[in-house]
Amino acid sequence: MLARLLHFRGLLLTLTARELKARYRGSLLGFLWSLVNPLLLLAVYTLVFDVVFKNRAGGAQPYAVFLLSGLFPWIWFSGALLDGTVSLSANAGLLRKAVFPAEVLPVVSTLASLVHYLLALPVLLVALAVARFGLHHPVGGWSILLLPAAILVQLPFTAGLALALAALNVHFKDVRDLLANLLTLAFFLTPILYPLETVARVRPLALLVAANPVTPFVRLYQELLFFGRVPGPGLWLQAAGLALVAWAIGSWIFERLSQTLVEAV
Amino acid sequence: MSATASAPAIVASGITKMYRRMAPGFQLRTLKSALLEGSLVRGLSPEEAIVALSDVSFEVAKGEAFGLIGSNGSGKSTLLKLVAGMLRPDSGTVAVDGRVAALIELGAGFPPEISGRENVYINGAVLGLSRREVDQRLDSIVDFSGLEDFIDEPVKTYSSGMYVRLGFAVAIHTAPDVLLVDEVLAVGDEAFAHRCLRKIEELLASGRTLLLVSHSLSLMEGICDRLLWLDRGKAQMVGEPRRVADAYREAVAEEEGRRHREEKEREEGTAGENSRAGAIESTAVDSSDGSRRWGSRQAEITAVRLLVAGEERYHLKSGEPATLELTVEARERLDDFVFGVALSTPRGDEVWGTNTDLEGWRPERLEGSARVRVEIPALQLAAGEYVVDVAVHSREGAPYDYRKGALSLSVTAPSAAIGVYRPPHQWRFDGGVRWVK
Repeated sequence: MLARLLHFRGLLLTLTARELKARYRGSLLGFLWSLVNPLLLLAVYTLVFDVVFKNRAGGAQPYAVFLLSGLFPWIWFSGALLDGTVSLSANAGLLRKAVFPAEVLPVVSTLASLVHYLLALPVLLVALAVARFGLHHPVGGWSILLLPAAILVQLPFTAGLALALAALNVHFKDVRDLLANLLTLAFFLTPILYPLETVARVRPLALLVAANPVTPFVRLYQELLFFGRVPGPGLWLQAAGLALVAWAIGSWIFERLSQTLVEAV
Repeated sequence: MSATASAPAIVASGITKMYRRMAPGFQLRTLKSALLEGSLVRGLSPEEAIVALSDVSFEVAKGEAFGLIGSNGSGKSTLLKLVAGMLRPDSGTVAVDGRVAALIELGAGFPPEISGRENVYINGAVLGLSRREVDQRLDSIVDFSGLEDFIDEPVKTYSSGMYVRLGFAVAIHTAPDVLLVDEVLAVGDEAFAHRCLRKIEELLASGRTLLLVSHSLSLMEGICDRLLWLDRGKAQMVGEPRRVADAYREAVAEEEGRRHREEKEREEGTAGENSRAGAIESTAVDSSDGSRRWGSRQAEITAVRLLVAGEERYHLKSGEPATLELTVEARERLDDFVFGVALSTPRGDEVWGTNTDLEGWRPERLEGSARVRVEIPALQLAAGEYVVDVAVHSREGAPYDYRKGALSLSVTAPSAAIGVYRPPHQWRFDGGVRWVK
């Protein structure tokens, strides 16, 4: 699977660029939309949670910055899965008529979504800088240099799941609906809106949050970006392990189902 | 173009391919139902499978042009997709030696919203070219496609012919070891078709392999070294193009004749003579020289002769008077009959054909033995080989006796010519034209 994807890396990049171009084609602001969206989110959350409600989320101040440091990777993750799931059925024509490497498509969805994340990062970085140097909150730090490592760990995790879901969705049309609902649930079971510590006291909830495979990834970002700490090896290993498992299972399912892909799509 | 003795480029052995029925009651599967059944990949039960190919085997040598013919739904495209690796056989194996490029359908692999140029890169990448390799070939690809003025337009604005031209241009420039082409040559215009054929010949000459699907039998006979005739998923015949194409043509004609007869029977009910006529199985006799014969034999053509000045001949000079003579034996009294004769080239291109019905003869009675002659005062054919088909059939077309390739004749002429017709003619020159004496 990996070898084939590497073999088609040119195609991966071309298609990812096409995906991004297609999204922004004909829009007034073009790629600026990638900045406008997160800026709006930042503004709204700041207003609501830091000004109106004066939230109670423990040490996570300013709350909006904390929220975004976990929310952006989540948007990458969920966007990649939602797009990736339909990537094969949406390109049925391509798959039926041409000798097309199908495994490329879910990975393209993952990469395109990653680019959106990268484009949104500057907003978060500026917000962190303002919070640290302007408002003198103890946020951010040199740990940010390890951000690429976190992204590299999340990439195979997301791509593996996208592969499996895409192949499943070709055979079972209800995968996407199922996924959309699961993602909504998972969002609340991931410590994005709240720091992990705040649920520690509610025993069953804490267990669910800990069992959620997305939790370690989001925590990586929060530690690196918001808290300015380098996470211990435990968290890294947990994330890397999950990534490995997701990739292995994802490519296994994809290959298993790919034998009947062209006729089913 | 001849096949070499090296290892074959394509080996297909015993492939069977089944499709799942998509009719209501078969198609919809949800994840829920799969989880309840406990398996993701479900086998096909016989009642929900359609057999697209059944135990098909063949080999294609390197440098060979191999053609697939057969009616719609006979499995040609499925076979091509199996060779391309897009589908996997349910049993049997397909092995291809070398890099494959496939042109399966119109506009194969072109995302519609983006420009022709970007599509060249995407298609190139799918076929295994790096960006730099596409860069190097881009000019030549665009030039070959003849789409210079449209290359930056989105491909959704292209006509079907333009799609094919671009697809073919990309595929051929990737220099594939094996090129699979499905019916696309029929779409481009004449000039482009010629360019494609030239390019295909170049490919073949350099030892690359072609697997071609087309409904144009004359095209197939022209290009291919061998043909495989598929009939409802079964390999019917494989071999020399002319023989296979003729056999296929005859099967189609026979099928049509049978359908005619059945229709007529239905119209006339089951009573009397006609039902008996329908009950006589029409039999096609396959003889070694490629001729074929079928029909109910209520009337039989027992002999066919070409006569020149009363003498039986198999060759004649262009422009000589000729008579085609049929000896007919009627098994029963017939009041509905047509005699027909046709000339064609060995490749199957029709030269001339006519019958008594077309020329206004209204049948009254045919019984016992009869002799039918067509007298042609001057048979003005170009030099070459010709095949004569003769028939006696009902006015509806149901064959009593249809003899394809009943006679072969060779025509000689004072000079070679293009085409099949050689009218008497004379060159005349006036003014400043001089010829070496």
